[in-house]
Amino acid sequence: MADHNDPNAVNSIFSDIDHSPADLYDLFGFPSQDTAGGEKVVIALTFASVPDAGVLDSDLLYRILIAAHPRVVWPPKDEFTLEALGRYFDAVKDKYLGALKTAEIRVTIDPAQKATVKFIDFPGGSFSTVVDIGKVLAIQTPDGYSIQTFIGGRDDAFFNDLPGFFRSINYAPQFYHVPHTMTEARELPIPKTLLELEGNDLFNYDPSNPLLGRGVKKDLPPGPWTWKGDRFKKDANGNYRFVYSGEDAQAGKNVNAIILEIPLAFITRSPAANRVVNTWGESWVRKAAHKVESIPDHPVWLEHPLALLESVRLDEELKKYKLVDTDGQPFADAALSEREDNRQLGANNFWLGPHFVKRLAHLGWGFGPSISALGLQTSFDHGNSPVSVHRTYSSVLEAFPKVRKTLFQGLRMPDDSWNPRGLDIPLRRPFEIFIPNVCAIDMDTTGTWPFGRRLEDQVATRFLALFLDMEAEFNGKKYHIDLLNDQPLWDHAPIMPKTPPNPLKNDVEFLDHFPYLAEPHP
Amino acid sequence: MTPPTDYQVELERTGTDIADLKDRLKACPTDPEKVTRLAYRLYHRASLTANFPDFEAAEAAIDDGIRQFGPKEDLCLLKATLDFRFHRLALVKRDLDMVPALRGRPEGRSMLADLDFQEGRYEQARTAYEDLIRENRTWDNLARLAYYKFKMGDAEDADRLYVEAEDELTAKEMRSYAWVELQRGVLRLTRGCYEDAMAHYRRADVAYTGHWHTDEHIAEALAAQGRFDEAIALYESVIDRAPRPEVRQTLGELYVFIGRPDHAQPWFDQALAGYLESAGRGDVHYYHHLTDFYADVREDGAEALKWARMDLELRDNFATQAALAWALYRDGQLDAARDAMDQALSSGVCDAELFSQAAAIERAAGRASESARHLQKAEEINPHYRNFHVHR
Repeated sequence: MADHNDPNAVNSIFSDIDHSPADLYDLFGFPSQDTAGGEKVVIALTFASVPDAGVLDSDLLYRILIAAHPRVVWPPKDEFTLEALGRYFDAVKDKYLGALKTAEIRVTIDPAQKATVKFIDFPGGSFSTVVDIGKVLAIQTPDGYSIQTFIGGRDDAFFNDLPGFFRSINYAPQFYHVPHTMTEARELPIPKTLLELEGNDLFNYDPSNPLLGRGVKKDLPPGPWTWKGDRFKKDANGNYRFVYSGEDAQAGKNVNAIILEIPLAFITRSPAANRVVNTWGESWVRKAAHKVESIPDHPVWLEHPLALLESVRLDEELKKYKLVDTDGQPFADAALSEREDNRQLGANNFWLGPHFVKRLAHLGWGFGPSISALGLQTSFDHGNSPVSVHRTYSSVLEAFPKVRKTLFQGLRMPDDSWNPRGLDIPLRRPFEIFIPNVCAIDMDTTGTWPFGRRLEDQVATRFLALFLDMEAEFNGKKYHIDLLNDQPLWDHAPIMPKTPPNPLKNDVEFLDHFPYLAEPHP
Repeated sequence: MTPPTDYQVELERTGTDIADLKDRLKACPTDPEKVTRLAYRLYHRASLTANFPDFEAAEAAIDDGIRQFGPKEDLCLLKATLDFRFHRLALVKRDLDMVPALRGRPEGRSMLADLDFQEGRYEQARTAYEDLIRENRTWDNLARLAYYKFKMGDAEDADRLYVEAEDELTAKEMRSYAWVELQRGVLRLTRGCYEDAMAHYRRADVAYTGHWHTDEHIAEALAAQGRFDEAIALYESVIDRAPRPEVRQTLGELYVFIGRPDHAQPWFDQALAGYLESAGRGDVHYYHHLTDFYADVREDGAEALKWARMDLELRDNFATQAALAWALYRDGQLDAARDAMDQALSSGVCDAELFSQAAAIERAAGRASESARHLQKAEEINPHYRNFHVHR
């Protein structure tokens, strides 16, 4: 569940709200190793397994949107200014509101658990087909391509210490009974941090209640929920206490998923030029009024499983649904939209650009000093603060200087394996990763995050690496996005427990063939 | 075998949830989240059945939660909701005051706006609804404003708002959707548009099958259309499923309306017994029905007046003012009746029933032209206002 801050209406992290099939978890996207017959891209959208793993809700509509374009570098590498950032946001806006042609795969399930899959506005046209769920199938397109498809239940491919993340941001509902009405009692106004804060009794690990936040909750004491301390907590041996445990909170959990392996030439007529495949997912729930109408599927779907759609007004279908959730980048909500329903914008999140700068600065004041305390270099300018600080910004101008480097630095990869052909591909930078909120799969790479997202990527830890200074060195090697996954780093750090923040691998092995995600747990 | 209705499925699921929560609480009786959820589930079941013992169970669970954990927002909000449902408006304020922050929450503000409406501060209520909608366009606040518009005579705007409310509802909220459809039906029924009303009621029945609440509305529409036997059968079925005194009174009134008063009497007796039992327990939510019952069924002005005054003390609004006027009329106090009805109508309320009662009062007071004016207004609102209808 990388996308942990979903709209309250469906957010399953609240224990007294039922899980919702509209709750999107993750979007994975990477180039397929199987290049027989041409390049292919793998896209997997995962969501809550409601009503059950392998049983999908017939009131839901899922969309996977896809747009391929050439790789561009913007703004110029050396122009690290607010003006340049503004021009970038404008360019994104113009692109998504203007000429960008977005194709779409739309999935609905009928009560008999047959999936109608519509391919809309692809270069070869639009068509649809009806498929069984729970089966690997090859859908033949009218223009002669074959698309591997799986719709159904799988193991949750996300592996993560979610309670650790919640502890780091002082997210009260994970640890306390918080009434729904108390919207101010979620991220409490305590500095975000990677290291426990001296006297932060609300969130520090309590040996007498070790499961707090991991299934056990306490009563939220009356406020104010602030922190008055001035240092990180240390034990008798001078070690800090890590807010993370490295344990996989998602182990043994299932998801439902839509998984596709699509020929690149089906997505774009110019696969040689359009090397970046942008994709994002959306969940929509049928409006009540249209459930009453019990809309019969257009006969064309049922009578001609593979029929051209050109004469069908598909927008009319979408009007019968409400957009609930979007998913592009892991942790985009943490970085951008927090928990607000009206910020579920998917790719069209360019207007959140200024908020992104302020939010990243807010996170930086939490994570930056923690990183410094561990003897590491941070990309965030916290002015040598000895401890994490709770600071929010109302002005982008004020926030920007603090977060300039974090926004613009190229995220160095641990080695060259991400770029197997050694092409001149610039490192990706945080501002372009999160805005637009899409999974941008670079077909000339392995698709490892942030050049896409592979199943085995430990994205939660890579997200924290945004706050590392990529120009600094550790053991004679430049920092990189997997540095915090490096066990020797923790072995030598003054911290307990000595573990990377999140698990290094999934609880079960991924498959080496389609549909790649492991079988669901019984 | 007939598949279970949506109502049956939901009721069964709620019962299962309740049993499951009770089991879990045996293991850990001091888990505030489970205690709160149990209170909500119990209230939900009571809302489905409208069965008084179910409400008592919900109230006991709420009180138990507050006793164990103090005045938590979720519990106090639920307590306020329950008190509001039973017209205990003073208690609603006390419930909200238990957690001062609640008054600033959207849910608390909606309830305060409802209180404004119930206590006759109509403009404040309207402004509050509009502010809430501006901040967050939720279906329930749209429906609240729609009801305000409906009562104030702007049927077109009311229906537009109900449609907007429906547009906010998803397939996961079909009971709420059906409820809004019923409100749209009432809107049409009170304008004398029976076919339209029935269409909305039927749609509600398709959206959420098997709910006695929908059938109660359909029965009224059938009676209004003169389909009395069908209406009687359906009312009896509703009474079997949700034996509430007000439905018994309605059935009795229908028998009187069709000239079979002998059939009415047992229903009236049962209705009165139910009202008085409730009042005897100290509950206040049937005061309005008791006023209506004594004024129209028994034509006992003094007794009607007693209950009307008690109701007015709790809720001073056009409905209680008009009920007082009608009770005064029955008691032969025509000047006081005219004053009370003038006060009710000065709210701007636009209701054919009220105008017809105002006409009767004026006629009895010898003011023929005033009476005719009110009658004309009643006919403008609902050309068929003399047909069978439920006093809402």
